[in-house]
Amino acid sequence: MRSNLLFLLLGGLFIFYACQPNPYRQGKDLYGAHCAGCHSDDGSGLAKLIPALDTTKLKLREPKELVCLIRNGLPFDSLTRQQMPANKEINEVEMTNLINFLGTRYIHSERVVRVEEVQAMYTACQSWKHKD
Amino acid sequence: MRNRSLFFAIIALGYLSFCACDSEPKPLPILGERDVKNGDTIYHQVPDMVLIDQDSQAFQLSKLGDKIVVADFFFTSCPSICPRVKKQMLRLYDKYKTDPRVMFVSHSIDPRHDTPSVLKTYASNLGINTVDWKYVTGDKDSIFHLADQYFVSVVDDPSAPSGFDHSGRIILVDKNRHVRGYCEGVDPESVTGFFKTIDQLLAEEYAK
Repeated sequence: MRSNLLFLLLGGLFIFYACQPNPYRQGKDLYGAHCAGCHSDDGSGLAKLIPALDTTKLKLREPKELVCLIRNGLPFDSLTRQQMPANKEINEVEMTNLINFLGTRYIHSERVVRVEEVQAMYTACQSWKHKD
Repeated sequence: MRNRSLFFAIIALGYLSFCACDSEPKPLPILGERDVKNGDTIYHQVPDMVLIDQDSQAFQLSKLGDKIVVADFFFTSCPSICPRVKKQMLRLYDKYKTDPRVMFVSHSIDPRHDTPSVLKTYASNLGINTVDWKYVTGDKDSIFHLADQYFVSVVDDPSAPSGFDHSGRIILVDKNRHVRGYCEGVDPESVTGFFKTIDQLLAEEYAK
């Protein structure tokens, strides 16, 4: 009887967590704090001024490109007068969650990055330059 | 039995008066300080300042003709709240762009960088038609004073991103340059309610 109850409880918990729309809660919070101001809560960006996130261009990016883009930002574009700022205060663990959140929520990528990979990317980002 | 019909009568009366209130809302207030001179009430008016638009043409509220105005204050390189506010301005614009009674006006508070040509490029990147949505600026002191008259706070703040601190209000001005309502452009729900405010002003201003 008691073990049945325990089984039900565990099963219920499992289903509850499995049904969460996005498992990367920290990534979601980071998105809200650092990205949503410009890219909008739904990732739709702002016309031709700020890019939307679910574009094929982003989908084709290697995770390293995305990590360095977020970490280093982009130079000021004198034509649109927009600038993607650097986000140096986001650490490797946070970045991992952010990238995986973006992957599942906006870019619809199957690829999941691990913290160790992101740590290596952080070193590589020091010499990274954006290529459009 | 009598008690019951009385009960229904009260309910019906309540319902009727509710309907009456709903169909005839209170007129929108005229915001700002007011003065009484020779028995007439003088209401706050937005100054009829001559500004310059994205095509380097003079812009003046009194020259718009019979239009109400939806206005905001921003600058093109603003990294903080402006994209959110612009997104909401676009929402409003999408509904009223075909309505000749409504004019949209975005004021740049950074005239040093936001020249007419910069504003024109910005407007075109935003995908809007500058016939219905003007991008204007003027000398800095005038624009700051104007923002104040629109009840929008704008201050130089070296610690804020790009050196300005300003509120994301969207303001509604009637044909007589009276401020009749506003919403917070960073809050989509506040903007949702603002559609009603604009509709109500249109109904009031173009009833006769």
